[in-house]
Amino acid sequence: MRTFRRFLRERSAVAGATFVVMLVLAAVIGPFLDTTPPNVINHALIGVPQPLSPAHWLGTDLIGRDEFVRALYGARVSLLVGASAMVVSFAIGIFYGAIAGAAGGFVDNLMMRFVDAMLSFPTFFLLLIVAALTNKFSLSIIILIIGLTSWPGLARLVRAEVLSLRERDFVEAARALGASPARLVLRHLIPNALAPVVVAAAFAIGDNILAESSLSFFGLGVQPPSPSWGNMLQDALTPQAEAAPWMVLVPGLAIVATVLAFSVIADGIRVALDTSIGQATAAEVLDVEPAPYAAAPA
Amino acid sequence: MINFIVRRLLGAIPLLLFISVVTYAMMALAPGGPAAVLGPRGGGLSPEAMARINAVYGLDKPWYIQYFYWLKQLLLHGSLGTSYVDNRPVIEKVFEKLPVTIEMVGLALLLTLIIALPIGIYAGAHRGSFFDNASSAIGFIFYGMPVFWLSIVLIDVFAVQFRWFPSSGLSSLGQENNALDRLWHLTLPVVAIALVSFVSWMRYQRSSIIEAMGSAYIRTARSKGLSERDVLVHHAFRNALLPIVTLLGLSLPALVGGAYFVEYVFSIPGVGYLTFSSIFARDYPTLMAITMLTAVLIVIGNLLADVTYAVVDPRIRYA
Repeated sequence: MRTFRRFLRERSAVAGATFVVMLVLAAVIGPFLDTTPPNVINHALIGVPQPLSPAHWLGTDLIGRDEFVRALYGARVSLLVGASAMVVSFAIGIFYGAIAGAAGGFVDNLMMRFVDAMLSFPTFFLLLIVAALTNKFSLSIIILIIGLTSWPGLARLVRAEVLSLRERDFVEAARALGASPARLVLRHLIPNALAPVVVAAAFAIGDNILAESSLSFFGLGVQPPSPSWGNMLQDALTPQAEAAPWMVLVPGLAIVATVLAFSVIADGIRVALDTSIGQATAAEVLDVEPAPYAAAPA
Repeated sequence: MINFIVRRLLGAIPLLLFISVVTYAMMALAPGGPAAVLGPRGGGLSPEAMARINAVYGLDKPWYIQYFYWLKQLLLHGSLGTSYVDNRPVIEKVFEKLPVTIEMVGLALLLTLIIALPIGIYAGAHRGSFFDNASSAIGFIFYGMPVFWLSIVLIDVFAVQFRWFPSSGLSSLGQENNALDRLWHLTLPVVAIALVSFVSWMRYQRSSIIEAMGSAYIRTARSKGLSERDVLVHHAFRNALLPIVTLLGLSLPALVGGAYFVEYVFSIPGVGYLTFSSIFARDYPTLMAITMLTAVLIVIGNLLADVTYAVVDPRIRYA
């Protein structure tokens, strides 16, 4: 409860959380209120994309489909993939890291060398190749691909956390009381290592949304005509779309705003959980690994 | 030191072998291959012809046999095989695209540092100020920005609306050897890369300045009566530059594979573009070569980072 109240004091984080809640509501309820079908071509409007109007809030695309409705359906895809892929990668990463950290010695060494190897693959390159080779683009496959390629960094984080917890008195006490290794990992190590994991989770949802939209943009994710923010941008890549800037702006700003919202939420949780930071500046934030899609460094 | 480098290089061998096995297995077990690539073009091949093609490329053998053959070719002949698409040696194909990507990403890295370092230093020295908060807010926005979207926006604004820069390609017709024309074509892609990547550099510089400002030698410098500016420029800055120098090593792989999005959107014929066309053509030998090149560069980059760190910072010793 104290943590929650501290979170509420972070204005940017609250704004981010409000945005995400509204987005979730819109994505879930929206299509019931505005029943315009997202994929049906309006033959009267082919080749003449309509600007923003009361009939089409965010305009239409090159074949007369309503951008607002498509963006809503796209939000469903993005949120679903972002959250589910996070669950997949965290389920693997948490247990992998906790087991490596708790086991120590040779097992730990071997497990972490595997993580090193995974991290030596350029992440997005791996993602592209796997997606292209699987050649099946159902939502569950996309979720699995993103989830299965993004856990190694988390495994490292959890292991480091567990290593520092392992020597603490309460773990010592549990061991002295005869707790089995499994009980030690499940009841003592993992729950106490959760704080940084929660922060990483919020960042991961944003990163996964970026990954999904990148895949879809290159035709390796959600397949048209089903809308996703990524493949809506792909539609905007043709020269005919130059007269319709909203086709670029609507999905693009949706991605930027959503990823931004998850980043500030992550930051807010970090501040709220970490009593030692107290009144941290809003700037203490981006000291995270740069997104793999951010091209250049590291 | 020599000892350390040799040990690290030896340690990299199993890592590279592992990466090559996994990648090879992944590609070999996926559908595709030359018969599938050539098939549709030949108007549908007979099963016998398919089998003949597969035999030519050794694809009728199990994947681990194929892998050992690939490894043998690499170790004995330094060859990574020939492309399924045009039958040229893949090493030749990759190295012919390499200069373009290195040039583009190198320029982008330069621009990134020019933007990021001063901002990072100023923000770190004035922690909590308006400038600090504003720069990190802007950083946040760029952190969540897909680089392909930024590229499209730059094209729409500066190529389509204002017509200041070309929207794609590497040179104008007949101007292939004109360096200025090339630079003009590279401006938008370079700016796009720099804008999305300056954030992390800025953050690193900022936190390393903050860390340096809290250390004992800064207190000493201050107590000697130096001005705050002298403290920052001559003491904090020089030491805060160390982590940045090591980061340069880590960004080495990005020089090769870091810019596929930008190359794709701007139609720049570099390694990233080759990656995409190979993926869509299922040209596994070429993909294999690009993966291995990137993995080797990651290993070398990590090593370089450690070594430069030891060279610029005498406190660090490797046994």
